[in-house]
Amino acid sequence: MASPLLTVANLSKTYGPRRVLDSVGFGVRPGEVLGLIGPNGAGKTTLFECLAGVLPADTGEVRGASGSPLAPARRSTEMFYVPDGIAPWPDQTVSRVLLFFRDFWGLSRDRVSAAVDSLKLRDLLGSAVGSLSKGERKRFLIALGLLAPQPLLMLDEPFDGLDLRQTREATGILREEAARGRTLFLSIHQLTDAGRACDRFVLLAGGRVVGEGTLPEIRDRAGLPEGGIEEVFLALT
Amino acid sequence: MASRRCSSRSPRLLALAALDGRELLASRAWWLLLAILGPLTGQAFITAIRSYAEMSGSRGGPAALAQGLSPLDGIVVPTLGAYDLAVTFLFPFVAIRLVSAERESGASKLLAQTPAGLASRLAAKAAVLLLGWLLAWIPAFLALLLWKLYGGHLCGPETANVFLGHVLHAFLAAGVAVAAASVCRGSASAAIVTLGFTVGTWALDFVAAGRGGLLARLAEFTPAAALRTFEHGELRLAVVAVLLLAGLAGFTFAGLWLDPYRSAPSRVIRSAVLLLLTVGAAIPAASWRSGWDLAEDRRSSFPQADEAALRKIEKPVRVTVYLSPEDPKLIDLQINVLAKLRRVLPRFEVAYAAQSRTGLFEDPESHYGEVWYQVGTRKDMLRSTIEPVVLEKLYELAGVAKPPEASDPGYPGYPLAAEPRGAALIFYIACPLLAALAYWRSSCRKSA
Repeated sequence: MASPLLTVANLSKTYGPRRVLDSVGFGVRPGEVLGLIGPNGAGKTTLFECLAGVLPADTGEVRGASGSPLAPARRSTEMFYVPDGIAPWPDQTVSRVLLFFRDFWGLSRDRVSAAVDSLKLRDLLGSAVGSLSKGERKRFLIALGLLAPQPLLMLDEPFDGLDLRQTREATGILREEAARGRTLFLSIHQLTDAGRACDRFVLLAGGRVVGEGTLPEIRDRAGLPEGGIEEVFLALT
Repeated sequence: MASRRCSSRSPRLLALAALDGRELLASRAWWLLLAILGPLTGQAFITAIRSYAEMSGSRGGPAALAQGLSPLDGIVVPTLGAYDLAVTFLFPFVAIRLVSAERESGASKLLAQTPAGLASRLAAKAAVLLLGWLLAWIPAFLALLLWKLYGGHLCGPETANVFLGHVLHAFLAAGVAVAAASVCRGSASAAIVTLGFTVGTWALDFVAAGRGGLLARLAEFTPAAALRTFEHGELRLAVVAVLLLAGLAGFTFAGLWLDPYRSAPSRVIRSAVLLLLTVGAAIPAASWRSGWDLAEDRRSSFPQADEAALRKIEKPVRVTVYLSPEDPKLIDLQINVLAKLRRVLPRFEVAYAAQSRTGLFEDPESHYGEVWYQVGTRKDMLRSTIEPVVLEKLYELAGVAKPPEASDPGYPGYPLAAEPRGAALIFYIACPLLAALAYWRSSCRKSA
């Protein structure tokens, strides 16, 4: 087994009296598509934000591939997190924001063009980000994630707002990205989508990790050897 | 997977500045600022030209003494006064929008994960704001150009000094606005905080008027008072340093509060440290006496021979003034004597001892109207606020020989009875129209 790209240990976060993350620990392996699944309010978004360093955690440690701790300010060298429900630079057109990413990261024209084509954004290039529909905005955000150069990409609810066809296409695109060697960590609310897109899972409930592994591994843990992901999820959470 | 990180910093900074520039172009607040500044400057300019012409005898009436007609007071300061209004009421919204929009849209979360540090991001914003502010100066430059075309006189150093005052004022306003935007959740709250700061400085100005001590020292550096120094033709290093420090502190404060890695207690502690450091640096800077009188009429200076004689006074000089803040004699004394003495004397202190604001109901026993001058241990009283009388008293108390009569060349004055030809067309029609056209072009290019 490859050594983890990222190891999370003892991560906790409280909002006032509410403990949103409670000693969370798991590993992310290089090149895998890891799914973070859990019911509403489980702490998925908080976990992503603490990992990415956009929200300070109370306690805990995140280690990189070398095994040394990654300070929050240095996390941006290893991972890029795309939040759910944002409309960054709403007055700018899609093309302007993509151009900014191209210039900022020093990417080739072809790379941007490929992301635009794969996510079917060409017709939206002249539209203001703030005017995009939920699904269009989600495709645009996935494109930004694909263009970011960090080895680990974390997407919060990447399929939220996409129809069935678009979800399947987006799954294919993300799987291709993983096949190229990039590691993906997806927070997914829809369990069927998670089952289709991910290699392994981290189950989060009430701010705690209640299961981690491939589907057969968490089936064993739940004592449901024939169960689907939904049954396993219900049994463990 | 091999890292595809870009190793060069400057393309990133350029990309950030370009993005902030586009955000500025998308900001309606900035376009509104551009559109309003034309008519606002025009109105101030046209009024100033007409008043100046009247004072120069355009209506056949008696002209004011030529020596009293200075383009600095008559044209430059009133015309550029439009920018004081703009920087107080409009420019902060442009600065707030540049920070708040990024925060509200979630873009700041994406930028926080890039190698562009907060310092670079804020520097890019400051540079873009400065550029945006300079573009807003086109109507002002047009006004000064028109004045020259009418045959008016402009003294380069004093005009540039007023311009510098407005730029520093804008830098401070941007610092305050960006700091407010970094703390407040929404742009409306940030606007209220920024305006609250401005009103607070006005209150300080009002309360400190005619008082000595710490309050008066503090009030010397409020934005309005600082700008008045430049408008008076003075370039005081202390004022420049304090304005720069305060503006820089605002941007640094914003950096602390926009940093997502920091917890709230850490931000509060660092903000307190920043405040202490800023105050610690501002106190010695505020006591710097270096400065230049850039006004062509040397209004903030005594004749050169008197200044040389005053510099020989090594003992501390203390002035105790029994005049109330609203007494015109106090204003005369401050402008004609105290401000000039402050520039020249190394150890100089003023105490304001009047009890009331107007002086109308002062106790007859309260020394009202007296001004006491103390040099070392010797002191004496004067009721006159006339410059030569005061100087003579100081020489007498200090035991310094009175210098020979001044031989400085006098200020000639620049009367001009000009009509503001074409100004209304330029400022009331062309400027707003050009701003609207540029906005339309910018919107079209965005959607192209």
